[in-house]
Amino acid sequence: MDLFIFFSEILGKKVIDQNDDLLGTLCDVGMNVGKDVYPKSSHLVIKKGFFGRRFAQIPWGKVCELNKKFKVLVAKEEVKYQKERPQYELTVCRDVLDQQVVDTDDQKVVRVNDVNFLKVDNYLYMAHVDVGMRGLARRLGWSEAIDAFLKTFFARSTYLTREDFIPWKNTQVLTLGRTKNVLRLNIAKEKLSQIPPAELAEIMEDLDIFEKYSLFKSLESSVQQRVFSDLATPEQEEIIDQMSDEAAGKLLESIPSDDAVDLLLNLPKEKTIVLMRLMGTKKSKKLRELLDFERDSAGGLMTTEYLYLPQNALVKDAMKKIQENVQSSANIYHIYIVDEKHHLLGFTSLRNFINEDSWTPILDTCYPKNVFVHTDDGMEEIALLLEKYKFSVIPVLDENDVLKGVITIDDVLEELISIAWGKYKEKL
Amino acid sequence: MQIIERIKNTRMVRNFFIFLAIMGPGIITANVDNDAGGIATYSLAGAHFGYTLLWSLVPITLALIIIQEMCARMAVATGKGLADLIRENFGVKITFHLMWVLLVVNLLNVMAEFAGVAASLEIFHVNKIVSVPFAALFVWMIVVKGTYKSVEKIFLTACLFYVTYVFSGFIAKPEWTEVFRQTIKPEITFDFKYSVMLVGIIGTTIAPWMQFYLQSSIVDKGISVEEYKHVRMDVVGGSILAPVVAFFIVVACAATLFKAGVNIESAKDAAMALEPLAGKNAKWLFAFGLFNASIFAASVLPLSTAYCICEGMGWNTGVDKRFEEAPQFFGLYTALIVIGAGVVLIPNFPLLKIMYFSQVGNGILLPFILIFMLLLINNKELMGDFVNNRFLNIVTWLTVVLIIALTLLMVAFSLSNPGQLI
Repeated sequence: MDLFIFFSEILGKKVIDQNDDLLGTLCDVGMNVGKDVYPKSSHLVIKKGFFGRRFAQIPWGKVCELNKKFKVLVAKEEVKYQKERPQYELTVCRDVLDQQVVDTDDQKVVRVNDVNFLKVDNYLYMAHVDVGMRGLARRLGWSEAIDAFLKTFFARSTYLTREDFIPWKNTQVLTLGRTKNVLRLNIAKEKLSQIPPAELAEIMEDLDIFEKYSLFKSLESSVQQRVFSDLATPEQEEIIDQMSDEAAGKLLESIPSDDAVDLLLNLPKEKTIVLMRLMGTKKSKKLRELLDFERDSAGGLMTTEYLYLPQNALVKDAMKKIQENVQSSANIYHIYIVDEKHHLLGFTSLRNFINEDSWTPILDTCYPKNVFVHTDDGMEEIALLLEKYKFSVIPVLDENDVLKGVITIDDVLEELISIAWGKYKEKL
Repeated sequence: MQIIERIKNTRMVRNFFIFLAIMGPGIITANVDNDAGGIATYSLAGAHFGYTLLWSLVPITLALIIIQEMCARMAVATGKGLADLIRENFGVKITFHLMWVLLVVNLLNVMAEFAGVAASLEIFHVNKIVSVPFAALFVWMIVVKGTYKSVEKIFLTACLFYVTYVFSGFIAKPEWTEVFRQTIKPEITFDFKYSVMLVGIIGTTIAPWMQFYLQSSIVDKGISVEEYKHVRMDVVGGSILAPVVAFFIVVACAATLFKAGVNIESAKDAAMALEPLAGKNAKWLFAFGLFNASIFAASVLPLSTAYCICEGMGWNTGVDKRFEEAPQFFGLYTALIVIGAGVVLIPNFPLLKIMYFSQVGNGILLPFILIFMLLLINNKELMGDFVNNRFLNIVTWLTVVLIIALTLLMVAFSLSNPGQLI
């Protein structure tokens, strides 16, 4: 199922009623703007006939299928045809499609060639406007032919990969003097090309909670994990709240444990307990350990995901370890060497051994001095050590010098920034 | 001093100054319209058909006024160019097909302009190997180095030189009674060549590209709704002036070439043939007029085409941009000049046919543009109080139907006796 859908793909599609009778072809979409950032489809406009053309509107809630064809749950008799084209708060064809886009200085920039919708629960949300050549080709119906031609003769053409999207968030519809319906960008036009395409997490922040959840549900689980990690904690909570406990447990299991801990700390105690019970034992044990530590101590900050090797390992084992974990773990540049009882013997980074002979013992490449913190050490100490040795990670040991986890510099920064922010606010 | 102040403050004088400030787009557009292809067509009309086609200039003038006024009204009411409006109201598909046809027709027109430059300067013994590249460079410079204001002044000055044709007309000593008789009570024959010529004349006098150019230049000037009446004067004045010039060209050729039975193929032939019949001065004036018209139109056409196509397709435009910022715009602009001028330099290229067909192409494309204009100008949502009234609608629809009928007639003729064109 495609998450995004182009207006050109649905424009002119046949619309059929519940008995599969033809009602007309789709000719426009009415959108509801309201206070939301992304307008939501409210009506579909269909037309029939060429001479003596008639229009009709159908509430979007009646749409039950919108893939190959448009199916709506109404009877043919209910549809009222009229001469005038219905108009809405925001009408795609009238207000957006083919209209000019101007920059902040009201200079003409480009034209809207296509509209890119986000599809959630059969509703369409206006996510991007397409101002590029691909959009133009799509509207002309030549997209496939041009793609096939270029792939055969000019496989490296930038046309094939380049989409010129402007997020709807960055535009506003306005009337400029006598000129109607202009989309104005609220960013400089030079920045246009730098906008990354389709940032789901960013879009989600602006949706309301139900839309957010519907969208989230429709994602594949691997995408779900990635998007979830990118979300801010309040959004994560909202989503966990909406999910069934089983699904939430599964999700928490799949995301990095320090993220999971942050989230669990913010949830009500009962909910945390329920979720922990539903998680796999190995993971929940880890999380429980982490949860027991003070929040701003080394134990609270650390993650238990790190790469480690036995003391007799060689450089080639280290390389293999990294290669195996490229996909899964966030922290793959550092490897910790432990003995049988998981005491820390030293740690090394990719930089230290990448040029070494593959038969060199990994212990030889370790940092000369064994730097570490204890689980009950405070943030200041961790920060000082990281700064002093210019490390980006530091291992965390318990009172028996057993390696419990590692702290990355961004976890510390996050805490420090919130402290600094608090102090700044006090000053004000 | 008080008297001067009082004169300045009387309404008529003030209005006159406002008019002077606003004047430009209408007069320039109408005059550019008498370009190389136009002069060639009028010369051929005069030389081959005598005064018998003169009558057509009267209804053409009326049609020109009506159509140009619609463009001006759309520009003032919407603040958008014609290509913009077509794209926004009829969608990308229609716009795309219209634009590529317009591109082809305008390219033919640009070739005709450079051919006109070459032909007119050959009369002054300048080889086209020299004249055409220089003309192309001049055209390029005007646009890249000039601003709209300075360019407009150059263009307005160029308009003055059209008066040379009026002189040529008088020097040719026509029989004025015959001229007036034919204008008012024409002898119309509808054979193949006559109707092709008629479509050609309509095509060159009411050209598709000028609707785009006029509307854009009024929008560029930023003329407000209050100043509209001055714009209208400008447009009507230009629309009368242009056919008057055409009238004298036809008269000059008819009085001399047609009478002497000289068979000509081009405007250059016409100028050369004028010498023994009407004297050296008539030849010089005619040739200079052709040069002026050609270089003038060659400066306007490529730019106007590039602007209008990029506007319609939604590509970046502007001569102040760098190439990477507006590649389609500069690409089109350069290609039009290079191809237009380059083709003229190819030996034995059938330039005459190109010039002639560029006019016929204009005539065929025009009805479509007019239909779009009519649909747009009757759109209440777009035009507000500026929509067409019923009288204008009837006249314009009649014009469109007539032009379509003439075009069909020409196609029918060419199918029944192919190979007879020219």
